[in-house]
Amino acid sequence: MQRVISSKKARRLGLFPVITLACFLSAIVSGLISTWVQSLGYLPSIGATRISWDPWIRLFSQPGFGSSLKTTLVSGIGAALLALASTFLLFAVSYHNRFWKMLNQALAPLLAIPHAAFAIGFLFLASPSGWFLRLLSPGLTGFDVPPDWSMVKDTAGLSLMLVLVLKEVPFLVLMSLSALSRIDVAGSLAVGRSLGYQAVQVWGRILLPQLYPKIRLAFFAVLAYSLSVVDIALIVGPTAPPTLATQVFRWFNDPDLEHRLLGSAGATLILLLVVGSIGLLVILEIGAARLMRGWLVNGQRRFPMFLPAVISNFFILVVVGFSLLALLVLVTWSFTWRWRFPDFLPETWSLRFWQKGLMQMADPIRNTISIGLTAAFLGVVLVVGCLENEVRMQKQGLSTGTAGMLWLIYLPLLVPQIAFLFGVQVILALFRLDGFWPSLVWSHLLFVLPYVFLSLGPIYRSYDQRFTDIGLTLCHSPWRVFLRVKLPILLRPLLFSFAIGFSVSVAQYLPTLFMGAGRFDTITTEAVNLASGSDRRIVAVYALSQLLTPLLVFLAALLIPRFYFRQRKSMQV
Amino acid sequence: MLTLRSIQIFSAGNPLFPPLSLDIAAGEIASIMGPSGCGKSTLMSAICGNLANVFTLSGDVLLNDRSVLTLPMENRRIGILFQDDLLFPHMSIAENLAFALPRELDRKKRKARIEDALEKADLPGFAKRDPATLSGGQRARVSLLRSLLAEPEALLLDEPFSKLDQALKDQIRVFVFETIRRMNIPALLVSHDHRDCPPGQVINLANGRT
Repeated sequence: MQRVISSKKARRLGLFPVITLACFLSAIVSGLISTWVQSLGYLPSIGATRISWDPWIRLFSQPGFGSSLKTTLVSGIGAALLALASTFLLFAVSYHNRFWKMLNQALAPLLAIPHAAFAIGFLFLASPSGWFLRLLSPGLTGFDVPPDWSMVKDTAGLSLMLVLVLKEVPFLVLMSLSALSRIDVAGSLAVGRSLGYQAVQVWGRILLPQLYPKIRLAFFAVLAYSLSVVDIALIVGPTAPPTLATQVFRWFNDPDLEHRLLGSAGATLILLLVVGSIGLLVILEIGAARLMRGWLVNGQRRFPMFLPAVISNFFILVVVGFSLLALLVLVTWSFTWRWRFPDFLPETWSLRFWQKGLMQMADPIRNTISIGLTAAFLGVVLVVGCLENEVRMQKQGLSTGTAGMLWLIYLPLLVPQIAFLFGVQVILALFRLDGFWPSLVWSHLLFVLPYVFLSLGPIYRSYDQRFTDIGLTLCHSPWRVFLRVKLPILLRPLLFSFAIGFSVSVAQYLPTLFMGAGRFDTITTEAVNLASGSDRRIVAVYALSQLLTPLLVFLAALLIPRFYFRQRKSMQV
Repeated sequence: MLTLRSIQIFSAGNPLFPPLSLDIAAGEIASIMGPSGCGKSTLMSAICGNLANVFTLSGDVLLNDRSVLTLPMENRRIGILFQDDLLFPHMSIAENLAFALPRELDRKKRKARIEDALEKADLPGFAKRDPATLSGGQRARVSLLRSLLAEPEALLLDEPFSKLDQALKDQIRVFVFETIRRMNIPALLVSHDHRDCPPGQVINLANGRT
């Protein structure tokens, strides 16, 4: 008996998943261990060599630690749960209505707005001197000067929570839509309704229980992010005391190097919070699934819909409206010369701050673009290699172990950045590799890879393999068929995932600061650093540049295939 | 001449069908019938070199007296036609055809061959057209001519008519069979519909009977 030959070249593809995994596992594992060791008081570079629980004891006895912990948990877990609940509500109540269509159209732009730019826009809207109060003043409020309220950066972390919810709902909706494409939604709705169930009951009993397992990892990623976010918390988060992640970030940057041990303990605590809350959610899920079995089949078909419908539709307006207004207020500020409170619009306009800003930004822009393009390119190459290897393995009847794979892909999104990045920096510093451009690109690649994988994977896998077969029977080499047939057919999704990778790189704050060792400013690090306390006009210019840079790449990703294949109808979908 | 010498395919040690032996002369179109799931398409991929590794193969496939089983797909010189036309969506009609032409040909010859092929397909002047703007019948004809321009020494037809509507089916069937006879190469067709089969050898894969 003969086995079908598989060429040596094809086997070399097996290296891609190895390289890709090595790329993120090495960073996460070494970074975590390094941070843990430091949290036990071991950091020889600052002369600390005695292993003890001392940093932990000091952490728990820090003034304000308790309220800091409380704010972190409330804003982090609260934001994640609210985002998930709102996503479910939107699907159950507003699916395919007018508001839904609006949300659907707005989804891509909503996702394209970087977190930091959105948070800055939010700050300009909701702060005491922001647009909302200007709209009401002095007519309704009687204010001639901004009131001394803490509307954003409130102690309870509510504004932080709101920003997180508004930003994460579009993400969860997107992930749900892609998960639902593998579920027969229309069919389920038709069957359920023909059995007398209202649409919302079909969603609650049939569709959402199928949806949740498919977006569980995305939800956990949202949870991990919300519990550990630094850049947004610096912009709209509470200050006295700050959330745990921002406090840890300050300790890491403290001139007193002793604080790094404290920071490591805090960073590890954040990791424990994330792991603990994910564990708790898994247990809750098992419990809820048990309890709901009876409810699923209790025959209840109707549900009073008025209030949920109002809330859900209004929420869509809020999600879309906030982003739109945030954008508008940024544009307005960036062209402002003089704008006094409580005027609704600026008195005089000017281009001067764009000129000034763009001049200041020459270096950051160059860094942002060069790092982003490199990381996105490497990300796409590695992901395509992994996916090609998957095609090869399937052909050989080998298991690709997709379920376990998905956990691995999500790993960089599930482990809080702050819990391992400082540890990586310490290790890199040992070899004098911190503040080194390739290290910086590598750290971005870590977060670019999962998103490139998630966006490219499904389309890449749905490619009709028979195109390649035809190419081969026409006597072309596999490599040539890959270049001439498969890549061009997949050009659009390839460029799109490249743009996603680029936008992820642009948005990185902590990796840029830690791996760059302060030597590489990007638009994002500058925007976040300036956000509190600097001239609003300049901050607006930075925030808009942070938003426009990835937008231009998205635009190119959209237009290049459209132009290149302008005479090919089926390539225009 | 395409020869199958007691070909048998195994999945986890179990044979999909009894050993199959068959000689197909140049210009002849043999047919293999059988219900779906009996291993017709697997047999096709074994012959053209695309058999998944979950299967094992015994027997031999000879093309003009040399065994092709050790050759990779692209060196077997066996063309294949699927039920979908699979014209490359990112290339024009002429580019689709040019992709199939042997590399050695110079520009003039390439152009002439493409024009000749379009002529045969009754599609003169379609060179620059987008495949997406052609009708199903036109696409099917281009697809056949594309597979033939690579100068294969045998052609496999994997249910090539099953997605066409009845009127079109008859027309394309006549076109495909006539073209293959004119090329004078052996062809093997699999189908679950006996009306698709041209006169000639017809084998039932399930029991090996002619």
